[in-house]
Amino acid sequence: METRPALSIQRPGARQMNICGASGALSLSSPVLPSPLTQQRPGVISPLFSNSGVAGHMFSSSSGFSSDLHFSSVQLQEQHPRSPFVSQSIDSGTSVSLTRSVDSGVFQSASSNHRRESNRSWCTDSLPDFLDFPLSSTVPNNHLNSSNNNGIVIPSEDLDKPNDWPDWADQLITDNDALTSDWSQLLSDASVADPEPMLSQQISETNLPVQQPHASQQLPATSGDTCNAAVQSSSANSASAKQRMRWTPELHEGFVEAVNKLGGSERATPKGVLKLMKVEGLTIYHVKSHLQKYRTARYKPETTEEAEKKMTTIEEISSLDLKTGVELTEALRLQMEVQKRLHEQLEIQRNLQLRIEEQGRYLQMMFEKQCKSGMDLMKGASVTSENPLKESAEACQNSLANNNFEVESYSSKTKLSNVATASGKTSQLAKEKQIASETTVLENLEEEDAGAADSPSSKRVKVQRYERTTNP
Amino acid sequence: MKFGKRLKQQIEQSLPGWRDYFLSYKDLKKLVRLISSASPPLECGKAEAEFVCLLNDEIDKFNSFFMEQEEDFIIHHKELQQRIEKVMENGNEKDYKEELAKIRKDIVNFHGEMVLLMNYSNINYTGLAKILKKYDKRTGGVLRLPFIQKVLEQPFFTTDLISKLIKECENTLDSVFPPSVSDAGTLRGEKEALALAGEGIFQNTVAALLTMQEMRRGSSTHSHFSLPPLKFPDSDILHTLQILPPIQIP
Repeated sequence: METRPALSIQRPGARQMNICGASGALSLSSPVLPSPLTQQRPGVISPLFSNSGVAGHMFSSSSGFSSDLHFSSVQLQEQHPRSPFVSQSIDSGTSVSLTRSVDSGVFQSASSNHRRESNRSWCTDSLPDFLDFPLSSTVPNNHLNSSNNNGIVIPSEDLDKPNDWPDWADQLITDNDALTSDWSQLLSDASVADPEPMLSQQISETNLPVQQPHASQQLPATSGDTCNAAVQSSSANSASAKQRMRWTPELHEGFVEAVNKLGGSERATPKGVLKLMKVEGLTIYHVKSHLQKYRTARYKPETTEEAEKKMTTIEEISSLDLKTGVELTEALRLQMEVQKRLHEQLEIQRNLQLRIEEQGRYLQMMFEKQCKSGMDLMKGASVTSENPLKESAEACQNSLANNNFEVESYSSKTKLSNVATASGKTSQLAKEKQIASETTVLENLEEEDAGAADSPSSKRVKVQRYERTTNP
Repeated sequence: MKFGKRLKQQIEQSLPGWRDYFLSYKDLKKLVRLISSASPPLECGKAEAEFVCLLNDEIDKFNSFFMEQEEDFIIHHKELQQRIEKVMENGNEKDYKEELAKIRKDIVNFHGEMVLLMNYSNINYTGLAKILKKYDKRTGGVLRLPFIQKVLEQPFFTTDLISKLIKECENTLDSVFPPSVSDAGTLRGEKEALALAGEGIFQNTVAALLTMQEMRRGSSTHSHFSLPPLKFPDSDILHTLQILPPIQIP
């Protein structure tokens, strides 16, 4: 379902945004957001870029730009040293307010509230465009410049849309009232904060396969225009692009080594660590926040997870009974068993879910093919019978929406073959991990005279629901 | 509303710092209803886009939270390893025992937390899938399938790393725990178990397991997209371990 290859480049965060790229066409009737509004949400890191996929590191503008970034960067820097939960609570505040606005019952205002409040909602397809914009000469920082050039993992699709950027940027700048100068700065920053830079190999090995930019959305053409307002609102915060990074154990090892070389967690500075680690795409913000966590974890192991630790169960036991050696251990074992079981079940469940979706996708493909062949047939059909064929082909398209897989289709010449998938056994036993399913899809088509004037709906084809047999 | 209720329960029984980060299932459901009833065909595209945006926000929320926790776990994992190494080297008998006991406790709780994070991931995914299904059903849209494909790739759902850490935890256990005297394969020892079931990670795990089971009971809307029913052999023991919230007497 890749309609626009150029869009496939962006980071997973942007990918998400593209999902709602259509929302660009949305009610961006809300005016350009003035700066106070962005100040409302100082805690927003960079939700748009928040999904670091496999690449792990997300580019964000480095310290080289800090002088150029105005209030937004100050806010962001301030909030970093705080405990991560603080920023999260601000985020959650958003969802709460979002909730409230939804409950207000007025759909339209809810949506516009949402737009205003949520910096993350700058779903736009022009966004990746400007992000893809190759580094302009406005980037003074050589480090970033080079790293960006080296670091573009995603191939040449990146460069497909440089043309869009100027138009879009112009619109942005002209639309903006108060923050023109800021915006252009921030925009250039954001253009630096480009797709995932090249990672050191160890990271890319261990990281999860989210890398493949899976942007397969159909975006309305107008979204580029209409998303401007939203983009403006959020650029203030996210152009300084505190893109969330996904840490891995290997990365962390490198981090620890660097810290140790610098004399321990208390003495090490983020800058020093950053330099030592030599990981492309890693920014000082990432290191800073990670260092903060690291310090907390080392010197206050009991309070690291805040309330959770307070409620450890074993503490209650040990205070009650002194000779608990064995009992404690047994209790811990029990706890462990339960946890293990939950883990197993979760894994099984997750695999099942993956499987289900896989099959759904497969079936969808089959139906699409079928429809397509129906359409093709149609084209070859005689003129007189064109209309009913068309309708039925459309009906075929519509029916794809039906999750129950009952297909109404019409074809005079085609007969579909059975689609059978592998069968197996499903087991729910705690120890068994094997998951399999049995599926069959049968499709039969009635043949019909091409000249018949019957409405398409009279030709019904029932697809047998595919069943999954499970062995408990 | 069955899932909604279960989700609510789960949230209530989850670690306090986590409660804000679950799916806003109820609100999204309301929105779906609003969309299906209110919007004229012309606005359908808009409404859908809006809906999608909200979903994306939720996903962002999950992702941030998840990755934050994951980062913490990575750090903690390393710390535990270092502590264990230190303790192994340490000759001093008394300190050794104490420290070892602490480490055991920490490992088990750490393990539990990670599993709970996986549960968090899973339950949010399930909720999303359900919401999408509802949306498609009510509006006749085709949103579900492509959208869920993207969800599958999101960081919060790609839990391989956490799983790996969990397994490593389980392996480290052997070196830290004395060899088991009894058969550890089943849930036994109700006495200790009941004593254990205070608030905390253990409690949450039990709750999560039970909730999972209840959610997987065959439902009326069971389809080929549903998960098969789930029944734990020891579920009665699990029930005794569970401590339900006190009944409010008005």
